[in-house]
Amino acid sequence: MPAAPEAFGVATRVRSVLLRGLDVLPIDVEVDIATGQPGFFMVGLAGGSVREARERVRSAVRNSDLPWPPQRARMTVNLAPAEARKDSGGLDLAIAVAICLGQAGAEGPADAAFLGELSLDGGVRHVDGVLVAARGLARRATRRLFVPAGDAAEAALVPGLEVVGCRTLREVTDHLLEGLPLPAHEGGASEVEETPTADDLSEVHGQGAARRALEIAAAGGHHLLMTGPPGSGKTMLARCLPGILPPLTRDEAIDLAQVRSVLGELEPGRPLSSRRPFRAPHHTISMAGLVGGGSGLARPGEVSRAHHGVLFLDELAEFDPGSLQALRQPLEEGRVSITRSGGSVSYPARFMLVGATNPCPCGWEGDAVKACRCTPAAVDAYQRALSGPLLDRIDLQVRVSRAPLEALSEEPTGESSSVVRERVATARLRQLARQGHLNAGLTRAELRRLTRIRPEARRALERWSSARGLTARGFQRAWRVARTIADLQGSEEILEEHVLEALGYRVADAAAA
Amino acid sequence: MPRPPEPEELRARGRWPPPPGPRVAIVGSRRPSPYGEAVAERLAADLAAAGAGVVSGLALGVDAAAHEGALAAGGCTIAVLGTGVDVIYPRANADLAARILVSGGALVSQFADGTPPQRTNFPRRNWTIAALSDVVVVVEAAEGSGALITAEAALSLDREVMAVPGSVFSPLSVGCHQLLRDGAGLVQNARDVLALLGARQEVLDDPLRPPASLGVEAPRAGRDPLLKHLSDALPVEPGQLARKLEVPLPEIMARLTALELAGQVGRRGAGFVRLAPGGISGAGVG
Repeated sequence: MPAAPEAFGVATRVRSVLLRGLDVLPIDVEVDIATGQPGFFMVGLAGGSVREARERVRSAVRNSDLPWPPQRARMTVNLAPAEARKDSGGLDLAIAVAICLGQAGAEGPADAAFLGELSLDGGVRHVDGVLVAARGLARRATRRLFVPAGDAAEAALVPGLEVVGCRTLREVTDHLLEGLPLPAHEGGASEVEETPTADDLSEVHGQGAARRALEIAAAGGHHLLMTGPPGSGKTMLARCLPGILPPLTRDEAIDLAQVRSVLGELEPGRPLSSRRPFRAPHHTISMAGLVGGGSGLARPGEVSRAHHGVLFLDELAEFDPGSLQALRQPLEEGRVSITRSGGSVSYPARFMLVGATNPCPCGWEGDAVKACRCTPAAVDAYQRALSGPLLDRIDLQVRVSRAPLEALSEEPTGESSSVVRERVATARLRQLARQGHLNAGLTRAELRRLTRIRPEARRALERWSSARGLTARGFQRAWRVARTIADLQGSEEILEEHVLEALGYRVADAAAA
Repeated sequence: MPRPPEPEELRARGRWPPPPGPRVAIVGSRRPSPYGEAVAERLAADLAAAGAGVVSGLALGVDAAAHEGALAAGGCTIAVLGTGVDVIYPRANADLAARILVSGGALVSQFADGTPPQRTNFPRRNWTIAALSDVVVVVEAAEGSGALITAEAALSLDREVMAVPGSVFSPLSVGCHQLLRDGAGLVQNARDVLALLGARQEVLDDPLRPPASLGVEAPRAGRDPLLKHLSDALPVEPGQLARKLEVPLPEIMARLTALELAGQVGRRGAGFVRLAPGGISGAGVG
């Protein structure tokens, strides 16, 4: 064991990183070991978990059979920049490394960064957000990243970065001080894994119109609202949606993995999955849970977990109106920005919204067999509660009904998800080739410029509009949906039949007439 | 419900007391099928044309259709309110109430002026409807419907009860069928009601009046054959049609929307129903 050097006065600098949402703040950990009033001081706006690092680091160093500065030494650890509040166990490894290098009188490596929490026996523990940290550091000229061994696969997704997985503190110091080998992680597990989805459309009984609406929604990226009595299979239908969407591309998978990384929800060793997320929060969820929040810096909510996938809100009318209002920003911009005491962060949240609701408080309005017991006024009020800004952004609406009992005993005869997915993928390619994004994102100007509509088709839209009092927005929604129907059919022009079918999925406008 | 105490007084707006002659109450669901609405309207028109007064409750649905039918035939109609006679509820029927007054009908109420709508008042109002009428005709009533209270009241008050049959699949006709099973008179058209009222033979034999003016409609030219597969009481879903006719669902949806645009079909839940052709005008009742 090397003896503690007598020549104090060398400040050692080691780099680590702090997460700010999906961005990073590089942190310099500086250690100065000098003579003076003895003690171990940590400065630089350290939060609770960093102040506790003192104890973890001391034990970890000692239990790794590494030297600790003598009793009479005065050791100061500075975390820079000083004005940023630091609250993360991920700085442990950098602090310990800086102390060990400082005692040896060695400089910290200039192009490397350290991320990891220490256990008391000197082991290196998992931290959340390694992927995000790796991405941010790679952009800031860091070339080597030391991370907990279990998180190495995650960090290795970032190209141009040498990732070193560490199991113990001793391994790291031996490597840095003695030159012992510590192999870089091989990027083997970074392939996108194909996972079949559990729910298949071929399991759905009947529901012709709802199936078709799902297909159109998937093809054009349209948000969808399903209205129907309890037990009509709204949830089952929604669960089928990820299976008819094309699998995530690698870029999309990495986008999503970043969010999961921050939340610590990545599967260790297999960070990338091609499976579209399906999130179905209960209607009692808080606004912070839905769009993101929490104290200090906001954490991602369900809308970001559903990034590039499906956010399913069952019993839409039961959700807190404030939470539903908060969905407007992600629905429009594909991201959420949340400001909390610790600063402002922004998370991606581009999802397909699928809402489900009963038609009335008792649920049986319009059912063929069971009578509804609600007063007309109550039904009105219930349906109105859903209207407004949120409904304005939902292009497709469909009524579902309970499958008749005789249909339930038969084998379902519908197409399987893979057949539908083929058509969806083809229609999506057409849209991307034409306008670079899906039809759901078509603006008014793009609709006029890019999507040819036959005169009789336009007349049908206008006839409906004047007869049913379609708003300008409703008009555009129907136009967009008609565009997607035409794409599904492989038609560059929107024909009358496409418009008429699209209008068939406009329940609210029909009810308002 | 047990028989409520008799109202101390009836407050009225419009022509009160009403002109002499038989009075028929037409009551039913507040959200009838297009079939029920058409029946109520036609029945009220034919009865009003034959000189009967039409009594109902100014509610949405069957009630409103009955008042409308009577007005369209230039007859007299009485709306019995569950609110103060100066309070129109629901607001959607304010215009209808005004037209009832203008046409020589009446709004009456057993409740004090200014009484707002209260849940418990409507069943009591239903007893008053029965008391003011010689016959109560229930057009469409689900199980537990308020219209059944009116029927029950009619029996207690020694009035006749009649009911209009519907589809055995329709939850809205369950109450009516129960009444029929329990001995209510069957109503297929206004003649059935008039016969019970003992109308003069010449009214019943009026050659200008088609013998069964309800439920029969002349076929129209140029219709989508899809209409044949739709009913006017029982909603049919696009998916069912697609399967039955072996036509792709997108095409079914487009054709249904075209029919909806033309006013020939309407939505009901997840399905579509055929709509009765254009109201009662020109139905030979003028």
